[in-house]
Amino acid sequence: MTEKKHHTAHHGKKKGEADKEWEPKIVGFLCNWCSYAGADLCGVSRFQYPTNIRLVRVMCSTRVSPHLVLEVFEAGADGILIGGCHLNDCHYMTGNFHTEKRVNLMKKLLREAGIDEGRLRLEWVSASEGEKFSKVVTEFTEEIQKLGQSKVHADDMVKAKVAAADDASETFRLKALVGKEFNLLDKGNAYGDKLDPEKFRGIIDAATEDEFERALILELARIRPMSVKQLGMVMDTPTDRILRHIVLLRQNSKIAMEHPEGFTPVYKTVAIGGEQ
Amino acid sequence: MSSTAPNAGGQTKAEEEDFEPKIIVFCCNWCSYAGADLAGVSRLQMPPYFRVIRVMCSARVDPEFVLRAFQKGADGVLVAGCHPADCHYIGGNYRTRRRIALLRILLQQFGFDPGRLKLAWISAGEGEKFQKTIIEFTDVVNELGPSPIGSSD
Amino acid sequence: MAATDKIGAVMVVGGGISGLQSALDLADSGFKVYLVEKQPSIGGTMAQLDKTFPTNDCAMCIMAPKLVSTGRHHNITLVTNAEIMAVDGQAGDFKVTVKQRALRVDASKCTGCGSCAQKCPIETSDEYNENTKIRKAIYVRYPQAVPLVYSIDHDKCIGCGICAEECKAGAVVYDQKESTSEIQVGSIILSPGFDEFDARLKGEYGYGVYKNVVTSIEFERMLSATGPYFGTVMRPSDGDIPEKIAFIQCVGSRDEQVGNAYCSGVCCMYSIKEAIIAKEHGGDIQPKIFFMDMRAFGKEFDEYYNRAQNEYGIEFVRSRVASVFENPETKNLVVKYVEKGEPKEEEFGLVVLAVGLRPPEDAVALSKVIGFELNADGFCQTTVLDPVNSSKQGVFVSGAFSSPKDIPMTVAEASGAAAKAATEIASARDSLVTKKEYPEELDISGKEPRIGVFVCHCGINIGGVVKVPSVAEYARTLPNVAYAEENLYTCSQDTQEKIKEMIKEHDLNRVVVASCTPRTHEPLFQNTIKEAGLNSYLFEMANIRDQCSWIHMHEAEAATKKAKDLVRMAVAKSRLLEPLENLMIDVNQKALVVGGGATGMAAALELAKQGVKVNLVEKEKELGGNLRKLHYLPSGEDPEEFADSLAKEVASNPNITVHIGKGVKDIEGYVGNFKTTLDSGETFEHGTVILAVGAQEYKPEGEYLYGKNPNVLTLLEFKEKLKKGEVKGDSYVFIQCVGSREEGHPNCSRVCCTGTMTAAIKIKEKNPDAKVYVLYRDIRTYGFREEYYKAAAEKGVTFVRFEDDVKPKVEETGGKVQVTVTDEDTGKEVVMTPDYLVLASGTRPYTESEALAPMLKVPMTKEGFFLEAHMKLRPVDFATEGVYLAGLAHGPKFLDESIGQGLAAVARAMTILSKKTLEAEGIVASVDETLCDGCGICVPTCEYKALEIIVDKKDETKKSLDLNIGLCKGCGACVGACPSGALTQKGFRDEQIVAMIDAALEDDVEKQEVRQ
Repeated sequence: MTEKKHHTAHHGKKKGEADKEWEPKIVGFLCNWCSYAGADLCGVSRFQYPTNIRLVRVMCSTRVSPHLVLEVFEAGADGILIGGCHLNDCHYMTGNFHTEKRVNLMKKLLREAGIDEGRLRLEWVSASEGEKFSKVVTEFTEEIQKLGQSKVHADDMVKAKVAAADDASETFRLKALVGKEFNLLDKGNAYGDKLDPEKFRGIIDAATEDEFERALILELARIRPMSVKQLGMVMDTPTDRILRHIVLLRQNSKIAMEHPEGFTPVYKTVAIGGEQ
Repeated sequence: MSSTAPNAGGQTKAEEEDFEPKIIVFCCNWCSYAGADLAGVSRLQMPPYFRVIRVMCSARVDPEFVLRAFQKGADGVLVAGCHPADCHYIGGNYRTRRRIALLRILLQQFGFDPGRLKLAWISAGEGEKFQKTIIEFTDVVNELGPSPIGSSD
Repeated sequence: MAATDKIGAVMVVGGGISGLQSALDLADSGFKVYLVEKQPSIGGTMAQLDKTFPTNDCAMCIMAPKLVSTGRHHNITLVTNAEIMAVDGQAGDFKVTVKQRALRVDASKCTGCGSCAQKCPIETSDEYNENTKIRKAIYVRYPQAVPLVYSIDHDKCIGCGICAEECKAGAVVYDQKESTSEIQVGSIILSPGFDEFDARLKGEYGYGVYKNVVTSIEFERMLSATGPYFGTVMRPSDGDIPEKIAFIQCVGSRDEQVGNAYCSGVCCMYSIKEAIIAKEHGGDIQPKIFFMDMRAFGKEFDEYYNRAQNEYGIEFVRSRVASVFENPETKNLVVKYVEKGEPKEEEFGLVVLAVGLRPPEDAVALSKVIGFELNADGFCQTTVLDPVNSSKQGVFVSGAFSSPKDIPMTVAEASGAAAKAATEIASARDSLVTKKEYPEELDISGKEPRIGVFVCHCGINIGGVVKVPSVAEYARTLPNVAYAEENLYTCSQDTQEKIKEMIKEHDLNRVVVASCTPRTHEPLFQNTIKEAGLNSYLFEMANIRDQCSWIHMHEAEAATKKAKDLVRMAVAKSRLLEPLENLMIDVNQKALVVGGGATGMAAALELAKQGVKVNLVEKEKELGGNLRKLHYLPSGEDPEEFADSLAKEVASNPNITVHIGKGVKDIEGYVGNFKTTLDSGETFEHGTVILAVGAQEYKPEGEYLYGKNPNVLTLLEFKEKLKKGEVKGDSYVFIQCVGSREEGHPNCSRVCCTGTMTAAIKIKEKNPDAKVYVLYRDIRTYGFREEYYKAAAEKGVTFVRFEDDVKPKVEETGGKVQVTVTDEDTGKEVVMTPDYLVLASGTRPYTESEALAPMLKVPMTKEGFFLEAHMKLRPVDFATEGVYLAGLAHGPKFLDESIGQGLAAVARAMTILSKKTLEAEGIVASVDETLCDGCGICVPTCEYKALEIIVDKKDETKKSLDLNIGLCKGCGACVGACPSGALTQKGFRDEQIVAMIDAALEDDVEKQEVRQ
């Protein structure tokens, strides 16, 4: 992963001026009932923490969608903290169980996009844990310092990957799987069975990988027509896998084969109706 | 990325925005009509300016129908039948081929662009070919512009 | 029919093309059919094929009408997703226990719209596409599937509940249980098809290891427009179009190492087809086929093979490929083989393995449950003389389950098995079939059209794009529309009731439904209005789903406008609709069989056993035909004895009148009503004709000293001498393909290779030291006949291959025959001086056939065999209804195949002879005699010979057109050709089509609304 290389490079802090001036930009999403109250308590108690974090209040941590997180990273954030109530303490009963599942997906998507998953952190902070809040923010800021500046805008490929992760997170398939995860695992499915968490994890992971790769193909082939081999090379993904995605994308009229010259067909993303 | 599918087709060129070509498509019941259905089942998108008229065999398409359509202001007429060897009625479409070839000559003699009349073989399995044929023919008719006859009253 | 203890129902096991044919034949001749299929939908292997050889017909195009007819036939019950658990009882009265696995979808509620699958989050590989594509956990096998009912793959489903939420029809039933039922039937037909050989067992070809090594069935899907690549041939490894494709033949066939010594019979042809199609899809692709013997033995197959070489430039290499290796860099494949003794290797972009046919996986279980025997290779055991009987009485077999075979042979056998199954329970015909009763038809003549329009939302399939309420609103404004409404599902049961109510309430006399496609739904609605007393032809459909909302999903405005246009067009036509009557034709329930050989006798006997009076006409002085010339059968039976027993049975059957030593002078009439005159002057009437006139061995006068040297004989002549013990000698040479596969006679005669093996084995049995040479081009002992080739080789028969265009030289030296041939494998010349030279000469049609063709208006091939209606799916039918063909008159074939076709012709004929009256199509042509001037332009446009110009006997200038409604299929080709407007097509009259054209091109909807 490209991010990892940057990580080691930055570790010794021997980069140019730009790096010295750099201050991590961190966004914190806090739920109204626990974490936000905890942050307030932290202030009331005068516990100190670095100034890099900007806090956004949401009613429940589960309001924070993968799309939102990816948008914020796309906008240039170096780290995102999500704070919610402790499990079973959720003001909205089970909201944070969903948050937990969703953060798993976000992390998986971040990995796919080449963003260190350490840049996203989920913490349970109750209304009474003012000190914990300061500790969490301090630690997280240090962590982000170590990871260095986000490379989201480093090159077109990273941009495309983040956009693809964003697109993937918005697919019905991933939303459906993650949205249903808690109920399917804890309450039982349509057959009244509880699914094996391990197995379900596997299904979501595979689906995430699929959807991310498909979205990335569409991102890349939107710019110019590309062949399976070119896509494979750019995406560092086996070409037979790319071809299988193309088969499905063509089936869904999302990508079209351009008349091949020679023996290598190329594909171009079909403009989506709503974008015109 | 939502679950929307593309708005395929070549109808959105700015200069042609006002022109909505009127295209009549004759489909034989057994192959082309089924191919058009398959395009639907496969959700293949195409420009919405054509109207299909189902006939049992493409050989049923009387030259008069084609002329009538043009007379009433059609900008294009497409006749679609089974591939030559596949005809449900054994050899019907061979006759269609000859008939359409003649009609095109006739149209030309009347100063009509023969490109406004097209014959295509589309099998029941060729949803994509139906889509392609419609997109391409719509483009052709777009290029040719409104029929010189225009819509009658 | 007399009271009977037999059950007038048949169970057909397996819903591929074979099962469909059997089911349709039986259901159309008075029997109830239960079609049991293990998949959730019928169609079998043929539904997976892209094209079919040798005509390159689109498989789905020709199969879909059969699928639909089977699905909607009121005497066929589909039992899908099911297996046979137990069979009790005996022939005539079986009790079959059938277990139906849960679909988890209520078939009566599912409309097949597919919304569920669109949203299902679980992807898995699609078996229909041989895993080259993805399907969902709730799925339908293929878009044209019958029944079009989705089902849940329980192994893959996670039970997320989304499909149930999506399904507006409430069809998803997660807790649906499997069900077991007992079904009573009189006969059983087995047509479970075959499995493909598992190419992994041939490790040396790298299937499953190298991505670009695929099986032929996978390649078939790759060629298909509905396959993964939309018909572009691509490498699975990287999507490149392969420049060179290698086809490797006999993978899992003719291979004792893997336990399959038999030849799979179809692979040579399907590989040629796949190579041709690949070449057609991408002109720069260069296919090369590696084969051992090219077995293009069927009707016009060799011409196809020749075209592949000469027109398409496909290369053929005679070699068994040793191994395949992948170039890890390019993923290209290096094919290693030996050609003419020289080891060679060549690199290809893609390798296609022509996998053989295996018995189906459940063959053993099926044989145990039902109690029939399998042969050594695991296929259903049959015999040459009873090719469609299993070893258990009342249980019949057809298709690849009894031996590997192609589609036309399968279809013929399927009809043959249907005939046998029907004979078993002939006394119970019509006992279990139902006929629907309808109320008396309302008279609408002279009444102003009052049209009811029903616009369907189809859940969200239409309503999600098209503004359905505004379409219904618009429909109300159209002239003559008396009522319009919108429905969630117009096809649902409650809406059918609603339609009937509205017809009464609003005095509607025409109905328009705007919903999906008439191809699948028109019969349903027609039935509904018929139940309400309206003639079923007073119905019209507007296709606003498949051809509107689904293809313009992002243009709601334009799609709504189009939907309104389509409704306006349908209403315009509806206004002009009129009740049509399906003309009833009386049927003379007797049969004529021409030809008293094995085929004709088998057919006549089967008809007679079903209670039909048969006239059997034979031109020779004795019944038996070629049976009396064969002398040996490779399987050991005595053909002469068989001929005698058949002839005896025929003679003693009171239903059969035999006309020996007589020819047919004239046949006139049409289906149900033929009249035949024999050259003896006798005449009789009958409802159908079966042509089983046979063919003869070619006498190669002037070739290879035939007719000049007494020791040069044809194969049949030689066998006669052999049988009589007149053959004395130690050395024998057989020359194959005499008068076959050459200029003027390009096709293979199919039987000569096996006939030669039979003779060669007999010689060796009598005289093990005899030297026997067979000079050949390809050995075509297909199917289980491979065993005779093997036996001959094991007995020491020497096989010498000669080049196609370098025929052996035959001279006479000192009274002895001398044969010189260049052995293609070694390039060396071999000289032999045999005691006998046997010419395996081809099969030629009788010249008498030519006289029959014009009488019956049936076509012939350029070689003089009769040409069937469709090479694939109608092998024993003619386009002319009521006339059938069987046996050698259709083309060269073996005894079992001839008998099978004879039986098939019986089943086809019984679909007519079992009825007192035939219902003609409603949509047919009609002629206005006042306008017709008898020009005759229409006559050649009719493929069904329904049109004839009658010249007035008194005034020769007066001509008129005779239109035979019994023969008309309603295509309308003649109507399109008529210059005087005398011909019309009912249901598609000129005014009706013109009204639609005009309506389509009317002013904009908005203006129209203002005008109203």
